[in-house]
Amino acid sequence: MLDANLDLEIGLGRDEPRKAVERFEQFALEHELPMGLTFKFQLALDELLTNVVSYAFEQDAAEPVITLALHLTDDRLEARLEDNGRPFNPLRDAPAPDLDLSAEDRRVGGLGIHLTKAFVHALNYERVDGWNRLYLVQPLGAHREDQT
Amino acid sequence: MNVETSYSGSTAVAVVDGRIDSANAKDFDEELSAIIDRGVSSLVVDCGGLNYISSAGLRVLLIAIRKTNEAGGGLALCSVPDHIREVLEVSGFVRLTKVFATADEARASFSK
Repeated sequence: MLDANLDLEIGLGRDEPRKAVERFEQFALEHELPMGLTFKFQLALDELLTNVVSYAFEQDAAEPVITLALHLTDDRLEARLEDNGRPFNPLRDAPAPDLDLSAEDRRVGGLGIHLTKAFVHALNYERVDGWNRLYLVQPLGAHREDQT
Repeated sequence: MNVETSYSGSTAVAVVDGRIDSANAKDFDEELSAIIDRGVSSLVVDCGGLNYISSAGLRVLLIAIRKTNEAGGGLALCSVPDHIREVLEVSGFVRLTKVFATADEARASFSK
């Protein structure tokens, strides 16, 4: 029975989300996850991490901590993303983009959370003792056909 | 990410490869802006070698779509891999820009 973990600490640099998702990609490759699923989950993690790295902390935040914990079993992939930055629930606080607007009227931005919601089976948020916690869950069965 | 561009009058084809995310979206923006600033109003972005794009990259494309529309031309995409196409569909970008199979078809769409 498969039971694999990957725990990462993420810094505040502009290229930190990329470093983290490339570690995830390697993890996914090692465990032979389907490519389509790996891409979508990677994009979701990237969007959420980019939000946290860009907006969760003041310039002079005392001790910013961002962690990502991945857990893979035979039937599901889970991620827990935690940070001790300002409260932010992307499921509620990020305005949904209006996809029917023209290029001229579309807001620049707002798409990251939209893509994340579309590409991950379940996404939950909670605020606990000064920490933002996001949980991502992806059952593996539903994506078996994506294997290429 | 790497961008290689060929020019023909006010039309250009920019072949993009690699990965566009928040770490390098600014570089991508500078590349596309430099092309448009050379007087290009019709821009084809060839995505044949593009293996990853996040919303940070989509923002850059949106800005380039606006600029080329304003200049009286537009922006078209071609050779888009399936997984990138899905990102374009989910984000509604297929309604903002046309997607062609080849660079030649995309370029021809501007001369009509």
